[in-house]
Amino acid sequence: MEPRSLNPGRESQTREPGSALLSASNLRVTYGPVVAVDDLNLEVSEGSVVGLIGPNGAGKTTAIDALTGYHPLTAGRVLFKGAEITKMRPYRRARAGLGRTFQSVELFDDLTVEENLQVAADHLGIGRALGDLFLPIRGRSREGVEWALSLCDLGDVADRMPKELSAGQRKLAGVARALAQRPRLVLLDEPAAGLDTDESVELGKRLRTMPEAGVSVLIVDHDMSLVLGICDEIHVLDFGKSIAHGTPAQIRDNDDVISAYLGGERVGHVG
Amino acid sequence: MSSYTLFLLLGLGSGAIYAVLALGLVLKYRSAGVVDFGHSATAMFIAYVYLFLRENGTVQLPWTILPHEFTLTGSEMGTAPAMILALIYAAVMGLIMYVLIYRPLRHATPLARICASVGVMLYLQAVAVLNFGSQPKSTPNILPNSPLQVAGITVPVDRLWLAGLVVVLAAALWAVYRFTRFGLATRAAAENEEGAAVIGLSADRIAAVNWVIATVIAGLAGILIAPIATIQPASYTLFIVPALAVALVARFQSFAIAAAAGLALGMLQSEVTKVVSVLSWLPQEGLPQALPFLVIVIGMTLLAKRMASRGEIVVQRNPSLGRPSRPYATTAMCFAIGTLALVATHGSLRFALISSFIWICLSLSLVVLTGYVGQVSLAQMAFAGISAFCLTHIADQLGIGFPFSMILASLAAVPLGLIVGLPALRLRGVNLAVVTIAAALVLDSLVFNWTWFTGGLGGTKVGNPNLLGWDLGVAHGSDYPRVIFGIFTLAVVCGVGLLVARLRGAPAGRMMIAVRSNERAAAAAGINVGRTKLFAFGLSSWIAGLGGVLFAYAQQTVSPPTFETFSSLTLVAIAFVAGVGRIGGAVFAGIMMASTGLFVSFLDREFSIGKYQLVVAGLLLTITAIKQPDGVAANPPPPLVAAWRWLNGKLSSGPLNSHRPVAESER
Ligand SMILES: Nc1ncnc2c1ncn2[C@@H]1O[C@H](COP(=O)(O)OP(=O)(O)OP(=O)(O)O)[C@@H](O)[C@H]1O
Ligand SMILES: [Mg+2]
Repeated sequence: MEPRSLNPGRESQTREPGSALLSASNLRVTYGPVVAVDDLNLEVSEGSVVGLIGPNGAGKTTAIDALTGYHPLTAGRVLFKGAEITKMRPYRRARAGLGRTFQSVELFDDLTVEENLQVAADHLGIGRALGDLFLPIRGRSREGVEWALSLCDLGDVADRMPKELSAGQRKLAGVARALAQRPRLVLLDEPAAGLDTDESVELGKRLRTMPEAGVSVLIVDHDMSLVLGICDEIHVLDFGKSIAHGTPAQIRDNDDVISAYLGGERVGHVG
Repeated sequence: MSSYTLFLLLGLGSGAIYAVLALGLVLKYRSAGVVDFGHSATAMFIAYVYLFLRENGTVQLPWTILPHEFTLTGSEMGTAPAMILALIYAAVMGLIMYVLIYRPLRHATPLARICASVGVMLYLQAVAVLNFGSQPKSTPNILPNSPLQVAGITVPVDRLWLAGLVVVLAAALWAVYRFTRFGLATRAAAENEEGAAVIGLSADRIAAVNWVIATVIAGLAGILIAPIATIQPASYTLFIVPALAVALVARFQSFAIAAAAGLALGMLQSEVTKVVSVLSWLPQEGLPQALPFLVIVIGMTLLAKRMASRGEIVVQRNPSLGRPSRPYATTAMCFAIGTLALVATHGSLRFALISSFIWICLSLSLVVLTGYVGQVSLAQMAFAGISAFCLTHIADQLGIGFPFSMILASLAAVPLGLIVGLPALRLRGVNLAVVTIAAALVLDSLVFNWTWFTGGLGGTKVGNPNLLGWDLGVAHGSDYPRVIFGIFTLAVVCGVGLLVARLRGAPAGRMMIAVRSNERAAAAAGINVGRTKLFAFGLSSWIAGLGGVLFAYAQQTVSPPTFETFSSLTLVAIAFVAGVGRIGGAVFAGIMMASTGLFVSFLDREFSIGKYQLVVAGLLLTITAIKQPDGVAANPPPPLVAAWRWLNGKLSSGPLNSHRPVAESER
């Protein structure tokens, strides 16, 4: 029932430099005096699903913001596809294949679901967009849009406005928009928040298939069974610091994690 | 040397006015979150109230047509009682304006608030012109002005008094808002409206009181400047521009900075006047007016941090967008209807129709900018003017033939559009509006005052558009206005309309709408937000430039007044009221609302009420901003919808709804 079987036993220890798609070293992010992320090292290798978990306020969203260029780093550097992107602006990172979603969804309210995906898939420079106004570009690729729509099962609501969707569908539309760009790596900030259990399981299955489609995943979520179920490896943050790192099995049994994050409770009943 | 000092001191006069007006603006923003474009118009009106009380003891009411004057004493009044009565009048007027206009707008978008206050400004100015005339009026001195000799120069004592007053007022305001309970309450409410409500302070009542205080201060400014500047509706109302610039420097927060910056701006302007008179190689016209704004535009753009936002509960809502469903068929139909209308009309009405076409074009430039990408520009008519004057040079002096001269001239507006758009990369909402109006003023006073470029007051003649020997001009012998010129204009406007309609569904349009909806998410979708905004500014100024070129051909002589700053404000106003998110709105603005357009000209001819156009437009603008922020075209009146559907049925086989709401109302 769980796609865990797909886990090829890719241990974090076996990284070879070439296979790291995203690698962040010594990230430090501050909000004034508050240190939101402290000396975080994170690596996502090609074809993997990596989890980033931690209690509320641990710095997960801040880490995503830092990786995608939404918040400046106080220290540290970020490599993507082997090139340094530490100073790159967010839209350039997106075009380079680093997609992301937002915790609060943030769809474009004045565009239909399909247009939301299309605008992400277009990736036209201003020059070509201007040219298109006077001489329409024929046969633009809709591949990414169709793929993302079907992957997130949004085909039926493609023509709706975001306002008309349910909370779960909006969340999925946010994920679909990030996928429509055909990114190499997508950072998902709580994609399962607001979904019911069935929807969440369904989403997990779909996310697990993404590496086959060439998309690696970094997922932040509070749904333990989802994260433990689909990830190859997991990082645990607390107060901005990484307190544990390993396979789901290791994380589940890690005492630090249990005390810091779960307040002593056993981790979800998975597998 | 001493004359330089004298000019500095003289500048304290206008500086004091900027400062006092800016203090009121800061107060209004801090307490009610409104940047009030009608602030100086209010000051102007109170000045007239004072003037008439003093001269013949009559009270002037802020409307026209209805009785608007009643006699209080029937004879001349002393300065002090007239002033006190005028200030009481100001307090009442401030309260009424707050309750009727700004209170309902407390949770509206910044653009809606700006438009409402622009409406107030247009309204008060138009009423003043109708009731009091546009001739300047002078009043006797209020402040002591006995000549005083210091170190060989005659010191203008009244200016010193004014400056002193500014300092006292700023200090008093600072102390009140720093130390009194009321001041603390105001600050609490500004920081967190909800929080203030929870601890039992009515944010509403606090804002009302502040609004009254600000209006009284504005009235005081209006009265005190009268002896120095002479009262005149338009020039008085335009004090809003420097005042806004000063308030912007103070980030709409600091009384002290507002006071200092106001005085400094006045002195700088005055000093530039002196310098220009000495250095004859400098542009003699307009530089004193333009330079401070130039400095402000550049400074604000480079140094801008965001204006401190208030902790208010705002329902962020942009004007809704239309969705043209069959752009080509709709354009063809509009072209057909337009041609029929041109043939059916003649004389002044046909000319009004052609003017309407041009106003549609200008409004379309705002559909792109404000509708699609959510940016504000109060400089659109300046872009149009640049293109119009460039046309005269390109066609007549460079001898470039017709279609190319028109294209080049319209493109001439693009670089300016991009420059004015640059601040949009850092500023938004109100800040951007202020910077663009300052930019418009720079163009207005520097470029449009440049005799070589514009041909001075008389303007410059433009030759007819002539396509390979085929005269498309507006006049030929006694034939005026010609149908062929109308069709030419219509074709250009239809082309622009088609472009804007197609933009809605094209990649470029989607990028713009994404940027307008959510800049963060747009960047995550790989969109270069800054470049998209600039693209919209460029496209929009090009469309405005086309409008300007068409104006030039229609009027045959291009002269600066057509393109003054007020026209830009009016354009934004009517485009917003009509519905800035849809092409139908631009059409409505051009046909029904433009002062030289079809509907108003028709009313003027039949009932001679054209002169009330600005009054009505101002009133409508304010009401629409409150009641219907999507504009008239978003919810068109039922008879219009019915007529449109009937036409669709007649002229095409399929459904031809150009706008979604029409489709919705069919359900
Ligand atoms: N804009 C901000 N200004 C100041 N502090 C902030 C800001 N955003 C976040 N923080 C602080 O940074 C820390 C990390 O916040 P972050 O949103 O990254 O946590 P999170 O792990 O995503 O939490 P959640 O699970 O609730 O989404 C928190 O202590 C938070 O209070
Ligand atoms: Mg978070």
